[in-house]
Amino acid sequence: MNYHILKKSELDWFIKKLSRKMKVCAPVAKGHGSFAFKEVKSAGEIALSYIPTILPPKKYFMPPREKLLDFDLSGGKPSDTAYLEAVKTALFGVHTCDLAGIQCLNMVFAERPRDYNYLLRKESIFIIGLECNAYCDGYASCALVGNHNPNGGYDLFFTDLGDRFILHVGTQKGEELAEGLGLARAVPADMVALAGVRETKKAVFRNEIGVGLRNLPGILAGSVDSEVWKDLGERCVSCGNCTNVCPTCYCFDMADTINLDMKTGSRNRSWDSCQFESFAAVAGGENFRAERAERQRHRFYRKFKYPLNKFYRSFCTGCGRCTRTCMAKISLKDTLKALAAG
Amino acid sequence: MTEEILNSNWKLRKGLITAARQMTETEKLFEIKLEGRELDHEPGQFVQVEIYGVGEAPISVCSSPTRRGSFELTVRAAGRLTAHMHSLGKGDWVGIRGPFGKPFPVKLMTGNDLLFVAGGLGIAPLRSLINYVIDNRREFGKVDILLGCKTPANMLFGEEVAGWQKRLDVNFSCTIDRTDPDWKGNVGLITSLIPGVHINPEKTFGVVVGPPIMYKFVIAELLKKEIPERQIILSLERHMKCGMGKCGHCQIDHPKNYYCCKDGPTFTYEEVKAAKRF
Amino acid sequence: MKTEKEPAKASAKPKVAFFDFACCEGCQLQVANIGEALLDVLGAIDVVEFREVMSEKYDKAYDIAIIEGSITDFHAEERLKAIRARSKVLIAYGACAAIGGVNGMKNSFDLDEIRASVYGSDYHLFDSTPTRPVHQVVKVDYTVNGCPIYPPELIEVLKHALRGLPYTVPDKPVCSECKLNENVCMYERGVSCLGPWTKAGCNSWCVNNGNICYGCRGEVKNPAKAAASDIISKYNLKPELIKGKFDMYNKCKEGDNNGDHK
Repeated sequence: MNYHILKKSELDWFIKKLSRKMKVCAPVAKGHGSFAFKEVKSAGEIALSYIPTILPPKKYFMPPREKLLDFDLSGGKPSDTAYLEAVKTALFGVHTCDLAGIQCLNMVFAERPRDYNYLLRKESIFIIGLECNAYCDGYASCALVGNHNPNGGYDLFFTDLGDRFILHVGTQKGEELAEGLGLARAVPADMVALAGVRETKKAVFRNEIGVGLRNLPGILAGSVDSEVWKDLGERCVSCGNCTNVCPTCYCFDMADTINLDMKTGSRNRSWDSCQFESFAAVAGGENFRAERAERQRHRFYRKFKYPLNKFYRSFCTGCGRCTRTCMAKISLKDTLKALAAG
Repeated sequence: MTEEILNSNWKLRKGLITAARQMTETEKLFEIKLEGRELDHEPGQFVQVEIYGVGEAPISVCSSPTRRGSFELTVRAAGRLTAHMHSLGKGDWVGIRGPFGKPFPVKLMTGNDLLFVAGGLGIAPLRSLINYVIDNRREFGKVDILLGCKTPANMLFGEEVAGWQKRLDVNFSCTIDRTDPDWKGNVGLITSLIPGVHINPEKTFGVVVGPPIMYKFVIAELLKKEIPERQIILSLERHMKCGMGKCGHCQIDHPKNYYCCKDGPTFTYEEVKAAKRF
Repeated sequence: MKTEKEPAKASAKPKVAFFDFACCEGCQLQVANIGEALLDVLGAIDVVEFREVMSEKYDKAYDIAIIEGSITDFHAEERLKAIRARSKVLIAYGACAAIGGVNGMKNSFDLDEIRASVYGSDYHLFDSTPTRPVHQVVKVDYTVNGCPIYPPELIEVLKHALRGLPYTVPDKPVCSECKLNENVCMYERGVSCLGPWTKAGCNSWCVNNGNICYGCRGEVKNPAKAAASDIISKYNLKPELIKGKFDMYNKCKEGDNNGDHK
């Protein structure tokens, strides 16, 4: 695939051109060191240097609340129609951790039986990645899971080369956009500069916990009854922040809403969290994960154990959001280190 | 909108309640006829029942696929949706998704002796299999049915159970948990019935369905009888919301990452013995 | 789906009455301010009492009684019991009715002291009891939390009540909704917030508008007890701050524990 060049001074022109074609969403500063993906119309609104946004871009792929069906009960027999809202959108500035997160969700929802609401919405989203040349902050653990460098998952991928971006084309769609805008092809000097960035990163990004990813499933398997979970359980607020902000948490709930006419309504799904007390409870009163410790253990297993066996990849993207957002200071890196120490 | 969405997995089929009967204070039996083609389920599978505007609940199909035309659900008023479902009756419509889940391994059971152990509401999913076996009786060896319930008033499918009791090709025993003046049969836990059953362990499948608390003790008895672990079949209870192995609610704490709705609800004991809880 | 029943005729619309006890009537104001959806609500019900906007008196049974305010004297207790006796369904709405709310601060002091400071030396002539939320006096069928109520939740509860379905108040912390709204955490701003202990269902209304959560919806069933010390140490806060904020709305919770009023 090709490489193109975009001067930094041309970024505003690029965003404006793009936003004429589709809705453009990019990281925007929210103050107090927080960022969020939002619709933008110009480059000035975009925070090019940002730590992972409050919510990951999964909110565009599986909205926090999504209508699945409309129904009508006014006749004798109820009728219903499936519903899908998918707005053509470009996500600009997606970090490699979040690209990995989207890849994880793609695998989950493409697995049969397929979830077409997700899969069709995915098709309407154009993804432009943005490389991290240095760590966002100390919470990240992207090197542990190998997500500090790009591993696909984008149509175009931007790397900052100082006065310009070098764009890697990931898809035909990406190439059509770059060609359509008449972006210059990269020259050998640009490729050397890119190689330089990657070389520098090798020294910067190091496995953050000193334990190999492939050892983690075994470590977790051996720590079912570890005291570490008890400690987490005593501190956890069960607020669900860690799962809401996780780029690969996809658990959901479904519920009906009826309109005030009492005849029409909709069936909706919304994000749910395995950290909520009622998550694994059944109607008869049994709760299969009543304790906070069990629920925290479940979360770690769903990142570092189950998916490594099932999808051959970690469902932790190393973004650090869960630790950053936890009011009770539950740290992913410290937890893994404590488990590895036995 | 594309074909995929219009026929997506969230789309509901319309089911007409063709008969409904209160079985006990807490259980009601519904007979449902689907519009268009049959449900085409296998014993052990479940459906998601949607009451429009109220919500959806997973219910195991309690009728055998050999009885065509409609299917039956035994609904215990345990939660919001099921309690509301009790207010429905003949002529009402519900939405149906499914059938979902891995059925009982009926093909593997062919030519083997069968020992059915049902506790409480566990008789509902097991009835689907028992009637399937009765309708294909020639294909199986000796059949023993052990049934346990709290009181005689809690017993489900009383008439049908009496029918099984009369059959010459099925051995039937029943017990209630506590003594009752109107009860002349066995009293005690269901585990007390197992030692009395003659079992040829290599050629026997033990199928156990009941409340979570029952599994541990019944499985211990079956293992004592030396039934191989992979011939002990359980049906586990979890809250299956999507039925597609995605929403996460029914995931079992087990090294293999099982989703009860997709990898189960029926499991061999060999498969799930590493689970933290049944 | 009940198909045999005819849809309710206009005249057979459920009779709904709004009553207020010790409160600021702000929740009634919220109802009056619902806007366009109010017309839809009014299409589904027949309002027979509503002090903020009408004055007629109705003397038959109510299908739904909606109670605002907390119970702070014997007279109020008698009046509430009489309303309950005439109502098929009773909804407690607003923090004062649902959990006692700010009126509960009265319970932090000796009753006679409070009465003396309000009514002077003849305070014994004025009837007064410790503050109680509605459910500590009569049976409550539905609860709408909040100070003031979050109008979309009231409409949701009303729809449940009209259909005879139970409504479940979310029992997860406000944070769970706040995060979905991508608010910058109040703790990150250096302010303590009761979101981690307070029941969701308001769509983090206050934080969306730049305010902290004051706990007006009441505490979740199983709050994180030990977590407070971690939170306080992470953000370098004073423990009294959290406790003080909590008592502003939740003082009456103590009355739920002794079981006398249930």
